[in-house]
Amino acid sequence: MNAHTIDTSAPVICADAYDATVFYADPDAIAVVAHTTAADAVALPHPDASTAELLAAAQEAGRRAVPAPFAETALVARPLLRRARLPIPDGPLSYALAPDLTIRYAHPAASGVGSAGCSGDDDALLVTGTLRRVPWARAAGAVVVLATAPFGPVLFTLTPDQAVLTPGANLAGEPRDDLHLAALEIPASQVRRVPPDLLEEAGLRAALARSALIAGAAERCVGLTVAHTTARTQFGRPLSRFQAVKQEEARLIEETALVRAAVQAAAAPLDTGVPAARFAVAAAKTQASASAAEIARIAHQLHGAIGTTRLNPLHLATTRLWSWRDEDGDETHWARRLARPLTAANLWPALTTEP
Amino acid sequence: MSPATPSPIAFPDVILPQSASQLRTEVRSFLDEERARGTVLGRPDSWLAGWDPGFSRRLAERGWVGMALPTEYGGAGRGFLERYVVIEELLAAGAPVSAHWVSDRQAGPSVLEHGTDEQRRFFLPRIAAGQCFFSIGMSEKGSGSDLASVATRAERTTTGGWRLTGTKMWTGGAHANDYAIVLARTDETEDKHAGLSQFIVDLRAPGVRIEPIRLMSGEHRFNALHLEGVELPGSMLLGRRGDGWKQVTGELAFERSGPERYLSTFPLLVSLLRELEQRSVTAEQLTHVGILTARLHSIRRLSLGVAASLDAGAPADIRAALVKDLGTRLEGTLTETVRSVLPTPADPHATPGSHPELLAFALLHSPGYTLRGGTNEILRGIITRGLEQH
Repeated sequence: MNAHTIDTSAPVICADAYDATVFYADPDAIAVVAHTTAADAVALPHPDASTAELLAAAQEAGRRAVPAPFAETALVARPLLRRARLPIPDGPLSYALAPDLTIRYAHPAASGVGSAGCSGDDDALLVTGTLRRVPWARAAGAVVVLATAPFGPVLFTLTPDQAVLTPGANLAGEPRDDLHLAALEIPASQVRRVPPDLLEEAGLRAALARSALIAGAAERCVGLTVAHTTARTQFGRPLSRFQAVKQEEARLIEETALVRAAVQAAAAPLDTGVPAARFAVAAAKTQASASAAEIARIAHQLHGAIGTTRLNPLHLATTRLWSWRDEDGDETHWARRLARPLTAANLWPALTTEP
Repeated sequence: MSPATPSPIAFPDVILPQSASQLRTEVRSFLDEERARGTVLGRPDSWLAGWDPGFSRRLAERGWVGMALPTEYGGAGRGFLERYVVIEELLAAGAPVSAHWVSDRQAGPSVLEHGTDEQRRFFLPRIAAGQCFFSIGMSEKGSGSDLASVATRAERTTTGGWRLTGTKMWTGGAHANDYAIVLARTDETEDKHAGLSQFIVDLRAPGVRIEPIRLMSGEHRFNALHLEGVELPGSMLLGRRGDGWKQVTGELAFERSGPERYLSTFPLLVSLLRELEQRSVTAEQLTHVGILTARLHSIRRLSLGVAASLDAGAPADIRAALVKDLGTRLEGTLTETVRSVLPTPADPHATPGSHPELLAFALLHSPGYTLRGGTNEILRGIITRGLEQH
């Protein structure tokens, strides 16, 4: 199949439907998916869509294993650009949060050292270092970077062709590329000073976007598993009629419902602001990452041997679950952040605060 | 499953109305007053084990018992979600709510829905005043998960009343409460789900014999309720003769999805945090607390989703089964996690309310969490049966 004519009306745009090597190497192919108008396709929502709508769309993208930085663009990069009052480019975008970079003024002031350290004639930056495992970097029209410059927290953008790209991938084959920046000059027009809490907001957005993708992949596991246990007959009856199978299938459904509920519950708090979102987003990513193993385990167990192969689409969901649970903070990271501020007196109020 | 059909995975997300926040604040200040009185002890499983009729009556004075009952019957006419807020506050605080628990959760709504006007006028104002406590008489020795196999019989008497004979098991609080709603067979039918009816039995009536069934902790919460030819007036039939099964199963979604299905051991987590505040906490301890908290939060959101469905009059039995399985398993996991996060020998004889005593209490109660209100293995069958309907 030609990479430019991806059939987005298929129930799932699956990695088997195209030659992955060609596809991932071709940014235009990904743009096709991201901008498709096919009836049953997942299109990028309008930038004005509510967080709840964006999450629902990201979940659908996760369910279909859409091969594009869909959630990354809609839920992370675009809102951050908007917050920083930078123009939002069309097409797929990506992000790198708090990378370990050396950042200097590109045009240091002749007057030298001021009260706040070195100063510059303008905010143009000279950036050196590596952005690691940037999602879909090779396909992104721009990468949004949040970092700390000499004058404080800063958001800037770059295009992947300004960097040396080392391709990489996660367990699902999704691009996770390293971008090496060697004294790259970022013009002042692409740099914005931002409030310190935007760094935290960016982390929350990325974690919630990833959680929504996990919820979608989990739902795909349920759909595939129910279809399989209903269709597959052994000992003269469908697998779904075996008590032992029912017990596991119920747990798969429960765990999936749990992740979905946690994701939904974070939408309104994220719209309210960082303090309100801290608890709900940390809980959502903790739950999504913690549930991924059980969801993948049950789905595979109930699929039997066929699920371990590329003859069956289950791997599209499970390899993503195994990757996404670690990306943008795993359950250990988020559980600690969730628990750190909790006390005997504020645990219950934290659980019952309305956005 | 096509996306268009209602799925057991997609629950509605609920944002509680502003009135709920106001109510929550009022309940918290009431709980502060009660703590000062020494009645709210932060104990686990307080909806089973916290029996305090005085507390129930003071709660009723605030309008928080039978609060979803209509005002014409003495209720507060509040919504189901508002009731949810009140009971989750009470359970999280470990308040003693077991005296009125069944009256509030089941008997009130059941009499309102199925009762005659005479029954409503008699029972509902008393329930809402915290002066009339009910037990449930469903299970029997040979009739646990398979409830339709009940053997207790109700026969017509010559005077138009009923005579009940049989033994109910696990009748919580029967030794202290006023009435029990009893499921009995009134008619022999081919279909065992037909021919059952519900009755309101005065627990002080002649022929009622209550025999304690002690829990492994030694506590007396449950009883065998022997009905030895108990005579009831005809007016004590609840709902229609032969509709007992339908009436009982209609209540199950209410019984299975509430906050008591995931908060029973919550006070133990609060106790753990209190202990940890006196120590330097390790990263691993934080991780465990965070994982538990995330799961509590997520299950609560699902449970609220069921409450909203019920409030809207939508069927919710499958979703309720799902919440109960998740929630009651968490109650056990929480207890085990608390034990491993802060190694503490569980001690039932330690100072009441101390961490080792609360841990012992939660542990001794733990096998019951996934049994009461419908065994979880049966509930998981209900969840997958739902898939076949799609």
